[in-house]
Amino acid sequence: MGLFSKGGQSGRERRAMKDHLDELDELRRTSLGELGEMTVQMADAGRFDRAALSEKATQVVSIDREADLIARGLEEGLTLEELEDLARREDEPGTDPGVSGSNPRR
Amino acid sequence: MRKGALKKKQRQLEELHLDRREALGELVLGMFVQGSWDDSLLARGAAEVSEVETELKSIVAGDVTDVSELESAEHDFPVTGEYTAEHAYPVTGEYTAEHSLPDTGEHTAEHSLPATGEHSDERTTPTPAPPAADETAVQKLPKTPPAKPKAEPKPAQPKVVPAPVPPSATAPAPTPEPVSKQATPAPAAKETPKPAAKADAPAPATSASPADAAKPAVATPPAAPELTPLEKISARLEESESKAKAAAEAAKASINADSKTELSVITREVENDQKKLDETLKAAAASIAAAEERADKAEAKLARESAASREAAAGWVRSQAAEIEADAALAAEIASPQSESAVPPPGGAKTEPDAATAAQIAKLEADLAAEKASKAEAISNAEARLKQIQESARQAEERVAAAEKAAASTAAIAAETPAKPGTPKESAEAEAESREAAVNWLRGQIAAMRHELSKDDATPVPPKPKGDS
Repeated sequence: MGLFSKGGQSGRERRAMKDHLDELDELRRTSLGELGEMTVQMADAGRFDRAALSEKATQVVSIDREADLIARGLEEGLTLEELEDLARREDEPGTDPGVSGSNPRR
Repeated sequence: MRKGALKKKQRQLEELHLDRREALGELVLGMFVQGSWDDSLLARGAAEVSEVETELKSIVAGDVTDVSELESAEHDFPVTGEYTAEHAYPVTGEYTAEHSLPDTGEHTAEHSLPATGEHSDERTTPTPAPPAADETAVQKLPKTPPAKPKAEPKPAQPKVVPAPVPPSATAPAPTPEPVSKQATPAPAAKETPKPAAKADAPAPATSASPADAAKPAVATPPAAPELTPLEKISARLEESESKAKAAAEAAKASINADSKTELSVITREVENDQKKLDETLKAAAASIAAAEERADKAEAKLARESAASREAAAGWVRSQAAEIEADAALAAEIASPQSESAVPPPGGAKTEPDAATAAQIAKLEADLAAEKASKAEAISNAEARLKQIQESARQAEERVAAAEKAAASTAAIAAETPAKPGTPKESAEAEAESREAAVNWLRGQIAAMRHELSKDDATPVPPKPKGDS
């Protein structure tokens, strides 16, 4: 346990998570800009391809989910391993990681 | 200063472009998450992005030499990018920059200006000036004659305005009535020929948005004495700009309302036509069904009537037959008493034997005729038999003659040749005996036939001709 650790999370992990969160934020903005640009192009073409828009929006949604996960890890002080477990549980169908012991330390 | 303003403007537009793109992306994301797509909303957002993009391109290409030439829409939106449509000015137009300023106006620059006229240059600054001279317009301002008519609105007034000034705390001050009257017509005159599509960003551009201009006005206390003529002009321009925007928004709202009304009217007409068509189709279907029903009824009625007529005809025929039978029975009944009453005549003794005699005569005549017929038949049969017998006799005679001839020939042959004892002689004798027997039989037959014929001829048959024998 370091001096700036929170829960089981080390300062290095916390910093890495913050950096990753910033990256995700930047990526989200970029993706949203691309999505908007795509929409503008479709508007110029006179036809909105909802499949393409949905595909791009799905990317943004996945970025949001990952950002939420990282933010939760920061908030709850999860280690990277715990965060990885949490992410895996989220990927499993029919599970609600928010309910089933998201933080075993608590 | 102009280059700097253009660069700043370009930078702002770039940021605005990015922000709008992201906002459009957020809009698409929201639609995706909610699963409800609205193409018109997407088209509107895309149009806003395209608008900024166009202005940005025009700046980059160097088509714009003055910021005021831009019909930039960034005035409508904060630079923060959280712009959505509802962040624009309200349709009612009640919010403008001057609303954020106190009504008292005690800190406004106009009020701080003395009425002596030494600052009247600022009031008359929107004088028409050539666009090329806009950079020196500020320097020339004090040189303009102060006696210019105030009520003379000039269309090119905004172009005279120098490069936009960063919003100061005192800039967006409410202007006194004469000044506002003077400044108002210029943007309005510029705005009227614009198409409605640009109605959301109609006003001549300045570097700062009204929101930006309004915020510091509210936040910081005004410093009236520090107002420069440029700031006053800027304030006036912003005011007129806000009014023009309000007017444009109202026009836009009315256009939207008109289009919606027109659309609703068209939709209503289409619905009415569709209803009428449906009703017509229903009526046609009902009439067709009624016609079919009537046809079925008529067919059934025809079948019933034809069956009834057939039955009636059969009954009539039966009744006729019954009547005929009745008539026949009546005739028979009428005929039978007459015959019975005719048998016992009242006093005629002569008639009774005559009838019986006549009957007997008739009977006898009938018997006689039958007998005659039978006799004639027998005669014809006998004649045929006789002919047959005569034919057979003739044939027998021929055979006898042939046998005699053969016998004679054989006798001659035997006489010529040495006769053998016994056989030829015996055969000749046998042959002679057979011939004699045949002849005798034939003679007996012929005699019997002749006797029979003679017996038939002895019976009295008056009209019948006799046979050929």
